[in-house]
Amino acid sequence: MQPLTDAEYRALQDFVFLEAKYADESRYDAWEALLTDDMQYHVPAGDGDDPSELAPSIINDNRSRLATRLRQLRTGTRHSQSPPSVMRRLISNLTAARVAADEYEVEANFAVFEYQMQSVSQVIVWPGQVRYRIRRTADGLRICAKTVLLIHRTGPLPTLSFLI
Amino acid sequence: MTDLRALVRPTGVHGALYNDPAVFDAEMQHIFGQGWVYVGHTSEIPERGDYVRRTLGTEPVIVVRAADGVNVLANRCTHRGNLLCQAERGRRRAFACPYHGWVFDAGGALVDVPFPAGAEADRAGLHLRRATVEIYRGFIFASFAARPCRLAEHLGHARQALDRASDLSPSGEVQIGRTWIKHLFQANWKMLSENEADGYHVNFVHDSFARSVKVQGKYSDVLQGDEAGFTAVTRALGNGHTELDYGPTYRRPLAWLAVGPDRYPDYTAAMEGAYGVVRATEIMRAGPPHTFIFPNLFLAETCLVMIQPLAVGQTVNWHTPLLLRDAPVELNRRILRQGEVALGPSAFLTADDAVIAERQWRALLGSPGWLDLTRGAQREQQREDGVVVSHYTDETPNRGFWRHYLDVMEQPPVAVRSAGAPSCSP
Repeated sequence: MQPLTDAEYRALQDFVFLEAKYADESRYDAWEALLTDDMQYHVPAGDGDDPSELAPSIINDNRSRLATRLRQLRTGTRHSQSPPSVMRRLISNLTAARVAADEYEVEANFAVFEYQMQSVSQVIVWPGQVRYRIRRTADGLRICAKTVLLIHRTGPLPTLSFLI
Repeated sequence: MTDLRALVRPTGVHGALYNDPAVFDAEMQHIFGQGWVYVGHTSEIPERGDYVRRTLGTEPVIVVRAADGVNVLANRCTHRGNLLCQAERGRRRAFACPYHGWVFDAGGALVDVPFPAGAEADRAGLHLRRATVEIYRGFIFASFAARPCRLAEHLGHARQALDRASDLSPSGEVQIGRTWIKHLFQANWKMLSENEADGYHVNFVHDSFARSVKVQGKYSDVLQGDEAGFTAVTRALGNGHTELDYGPTYRRPLAWLAVGPDRYPDYTAAMEGAYGVVRATEIMRAGPPHTFIFPNLFLAETCLVMIQPLAVGQTVNWHTPLLLRDAPVELNRRILRQGEVALGPSAFLTADDAVIAERQWRALLGSPGWLDLTRGAQREQQREDGVVVSHYTDETPNRGFWRHYLDVMEQPPVAVRSAGAPSCSP
């Protein structure tokens, strides 16, 4: 597998920053346009040592369920995101590798600062690691998988209905 | 302590019940400290020495499989009060306190004290506090009362909900995995308990769900504007147990999984082998219960839910899929996927329930007063067996919950098990 060029790394980083911006700003249409048709969106729960394939996840969306999630967010009566949380996320420690001729794996650390104003009016911090699979398509880079590993995923979590 | 009779009326309750810390403390004593509380399922601790950490209200306990059955022990060293076991789950022959090395066996007996020459206390008096345990179809309940009523008496009509959940397995048992999702609600635990059988909120809190899902399944029966058109019903089962019954909306087997009746032929065959065709068909048609068992267990159709009160305004809603033992993995995967739709911090349903409960708790804090619970009081029907049945949207379950709440809270404190008093079987 050919090593990544500086230009490729820069393009992947810019793409991840763009995705983060759309998520922060709850721009659902723009965010959805960055996804492939086989997108998998996964936020696991638990300590990772559960061998069962039947372990529940916080989010485990295929493309169709993710489309439903976005439709629900757009209704305006998704109370937990109506109005949308005000958010900004920091992304760092970004590494990227080519895993197929037209696919990359990108990992980064992140922290989302969410002002949850739907009920508790508090700033809530969501730290973790994000892992993407990003595909180069005729339309440009697209996300085919996003896995979000929250550091506190075994503990009690507040409501998380925005795009993490 | 506040006079609770002044706060609970047949037609409504006062907001102070949700946000007065003194009421919360009394609940921890009367409801969780001496009543029956759900703590786990035997499938979580299949081997000798297997344990899980749980709570009875705010009190940490260890639920452990010993040679002679399941024990529920206070997770508190009798020496200096340290948490005996920090791990959420595991397998151990004994529990050694990390502070000074005292060792307790799976029955709670103090079996070793380091540097014994200086140990002057009587070991028998330093036994871990141990609850009375009863198990029904694998569901483990515990009580710290010295002489609790029998579990069957507490469960009453709710026992049928445990049967309904378990009977969906061809071997008659549900299977609980090791991963739980814990959703923090910054609200009072009773707001969760009451919401489990509240059919009235569904059209409003879950409007966004109704408008975004393509296949509504049973929800097409209850997400609608025609009050006379509902076929699902609500029930107050007695002893604070409540339910919504979606059974009447299911016209064929497996409708509750939104699949055709022939989707899992191996499952159907196994069920017919276990129960006979007629009974198996009816079990698979009626589907799982949507039943709240006072004070902390919710059989949420395809999920098992435990309600854990942390403080007067903080509650954790635990859930995990209610898998069916010896059912095909494809069917259990479907159960898992359905549960992910409904429950958890990011779910299509409870994310919104949480925010509504949090708003309600905050509004009551700043604006105390009475909550109205009159809906359906005139049209509900009491059956001969005492169960009260009403329209899906009626507040029959709330009234049932609060009747029992008042009964339990007004009982004088009973003798509870203390450290050093090994329990006997009920």
